[in-house]
Amino acid sequence: MAGSDGVNRNESMMVVPLNTWVLISKFKLVYNLLRRPDGTFDRVKAEFLERKVPANTIPVDGVFSFDIIDKTTGLLNRIYMLAPETEPRFGIVDLERPLSTTDVVPVIVFFHGGSFTHSSANSAIYDTFCRRLAGICRAVVVSVDYRRSPEHRYPCAYDDGWNALKWVSTRRWLQSGRDGKVYIYLSGDSSGGNIAHHVAVRASKCDIEVLGNILLHPMFGGQERTESERRLDGKYFVTIQDRDWYWRAFLPEGENRDHPACNPFGPRGESLEGIKFPKSLVIVAGLDLMQDWQLNYVEGLRNSGQQVKLLFLKQATIGFYFMPNIEHFFSLMEEIDEFVHSNC
Amino acid sequence: MGPFDGGSSSSSSGSCAGKSPEIDGLLAGAGYKVRSSELSQVAQRLERLENVMVNASNEISQVASDVVHYNPSDLANWVDSMLAELTHPQYPPSDLQNFPHHDSWTDQIGNQQNQNLNHNQQLTMVSTMMDEEDSGIRLVHMLMSCAELMQRGDFSLVASMIQEMQVLLIRVNTRCGIGKVAGYFIDALSRRLFSPSSAVCGSDSALENEILYHNFYEACPYLKFAHFTANQAILEAFNGYDFVHVIDFNLMHGLQWPALIQALALRPGGPPLLRLTGIGPPSPDGRDTLREIGLRLAELARSVNVRFVFRGVVASRLEDVKPWMLQVHSKEAVAINSIMQLHKLLYMDPGRASAMDTVLSWIRSLNPRIITVVEQEADHNQPEFLDRFTEALYYYSTMFDSLEACGLQPEKSLAEIYIQREICNVLCCEGSSRVERHEPLIKWRTRLSESGFKPVHLGSNAFKQASMLLTLFSAEGYCVEEKEGCLTLGWHSRPLIAASAWQAVPDEPTRKRDREGDLSI
Repeated sequence: MAGSDGVNRNESMMVVPLNTWVLISKFKLVYNLLRRPDGTFDRVKAEFLERKVPANTIPVDGVFSFDIIDKTTGLLNRIYMLAPETEPRFGIVDLERPLSTTDVVPVIVFFHGGSFTHSSANSAIYDTFCRRLAGICRAVVVSVDYRRSPEHRYPCAYDDGWNALKWVSTRRWLQSGRDGKVYIYLSGDSSGGNIAHHVAVRASKCDIEVLGNILLHPMFGGQERTESERRLDGKYFVTIQDRDWYWRAFLPEGENRDHPACNPFGPRGESLEGIKFPKSLVIVAGLDLMQDWQLNYVEGLRNSGQQVKLLFLKQATIGFYFMPNIEHFFSLMEEIDEFVHSNC
Repeated sequence: MGPFDGGSSSSSSGSCAGKSPEIDGLLAGAGYKVRSSELSQVAQRLERLENVMVNASNEISQVASDVVHYNPSDLANWVDSMLAELTHPQYPPSDLQNFPHHDSWTDQIGNQQNQNLNHNQQLTMVSTMMDEEDSGIRLVHMLMSCAELMQRGDFSLVASMIQEMQVLLIRVNTRCGIGKVAGYFIDALSRRLFSPSSAVCGSDSALENEILYHNFYEACPYLKFAHFTANQAILEAFNGYDFVHVIDFNLMHGLQWPALIQALALRPGGPPLLRLTGIGPPSPDGRDTLREIGLRLAELARSVNVRFVFRGVVASRLEDVKPWMLQVHSKEAVAINSIMQLHKLLYMDPGRASAMDTVLSWIRSLNPRIITVVEQEADHNQPEFLDRFTEALYYYSTMFDSLEACGLQPEKSLAEIYIQREICNVLCCEGSSRVERHEPLIKWRTRLSESGFKPVHLGSNAFKQASMLLTLFSAEGYCVEEKEGCLTLGWHSRPLIAASAWQAVPDEPTRKRDREGDLSI
């Protein structure tokens, strides 16, 4: 593991609370066990070790959840909603009526992270995060259980994301506001952010309106080694080596990291100029070794004339949002809340 | 926050995060139980573990990938056992291995039968799961209202609602989804209303029951999962013992045992002497079914050179079995295997000793190496009818959903009848005739812990076996999950069956000697 020595490990321990450090370090070690040098992945063991939680129609902190299978794709979507004033009868969730006929209720389609390989919609860390997101931002969250690599490479995750978007846009019970439409935002962390971007691109070419993109340290990259990668390699839980592994596992065989899925504004990227692309909120963690690529992405959006707000959190590491125990978590939630309610 | 720890959205055990102040609440939300006081220790050990892995030779890296993991939620123990494994690698325990589906065995039984012949937490009835069909949604609402009326004793209203629902049922597709399940539930309500409380759904015929059971076994993976997982735990528990004794609480056709016999045959160091005691109800037609099964198993064992002794114990009820009937020898390693039997003991007959206590206490007295318990993961023993009804509606509609994927006929149809009988028993029967008193893992954990048992964790090996089993089934929705050392099999995100393993907590030395005196030689 490049760049790791006693001093550096203590460094990461100093910038995050201890329980966060324990959580992310645990993931790091487990993921090391699961990735094989030949590019295969121990999926069975990964599923065994993954901590999952069921959905729960009984509200917790004002939010309840339930799972729905999209029968056309077989994919699971986990929906998080604010609990109504009156408790749902017998735990039955009535999904016939729109969310509201007067107020606008944002629907945030969320793609969980995991570098395209790990985690699920029902992973404990993501269930908890989505629950908080729904509660704090007073939105409906739809967490998509997309297919993962290396078993399902590009473009499976994007196809699943696209299908989820179509599905969400056609649910009567996700409509709100006086004009009875679904107010959709796309979001995701790490690989989920990458998926959100590509789904938004596809949406801009079809008739589905996406009101905004929220990308939480989105996973982008390129062939070049950037300054932040060299400077931060191995220092805050993540290494260049593991990033490379995940791209090799996701991208089509034989491809390199300048593939447009990985590097949308790179040499093989497609211009977004003149496209009706949603406004973006991009959050970058200052201790994330891939930040140069994310900043590059923000540049790319600006140069294409697209609206983008950058939230740069200087002392944040990856995964800072899993626990509400640092200020960054609250800054993040505040920004997202404002972002999804600014249309009302 | 009620008793449902799902409320804290953690995958921890019976205690809610927050109930025990020393558990770090945020880590609990991520699915890990760590005491706040231990946090820095765990962090240190994680660092050390990383050191070991980083500086590892290729061999150690290999060991690291092969390590069997247990109870990952217990982070402190996980880190410690990883460190221990990497510094002192153990040989991996023996595996069931991927035996070809023992077709010949099940075929034999199946042919025989054919010759002899002519559905609080997870209270989620999401009405859109029924594809937004208005009639389907309305049917669900009516079922719930009707159940409430039933509980209130408003029987004439119940009767008229049943009629209304039957009319509505015509407009719904009853070949799948909510229509099919609704049909069975309307039927159950009807039976409960019109038949005397002592009515039994379905027939008394043991043969019929066995046939239905067999088809349920073939049509979906629940029973196979139960057998595979239990066998893996038993195999591991028998490691190093030359004399082993399995006590099966419900032999049926002994479908579970060929795989274990074969695995023991291939054990490094050679097979032990295997005794199998099968408990079962009396055969109505004078045949000694238990003995017949035993003979077939003996033949199989002989063909793979495993010394084998079979004994049948006839009992209509588990609480009628006395430990001396099992003839346990002091030197043998005993495994007790209970596949969906324990819940039958939950009926508390006022004025009589608790059947559960009786059975649990003689289980302890046998000092088994392992007790494998598989139960339906549902709360069908709640005192209020409406609660049972709601839970059953969700549970069985999920189970029927999963059955949709099965293409085999007549297995699928017969499996549905098997399930229907279970539904009937849960909803129509009361008192001692209601034997399907399913309770979820959480309650079993409490009950067993309080009765002097401690959990034996099912690890990643068992999980792997179960996952491989599922690949044999074409349906993509089945999923195995690990939860606090137990494994559950479910459909999509709803667990339907849970497997766990236990050991008796040793007694004080003086008492133990008395117990040993009870064992017959």
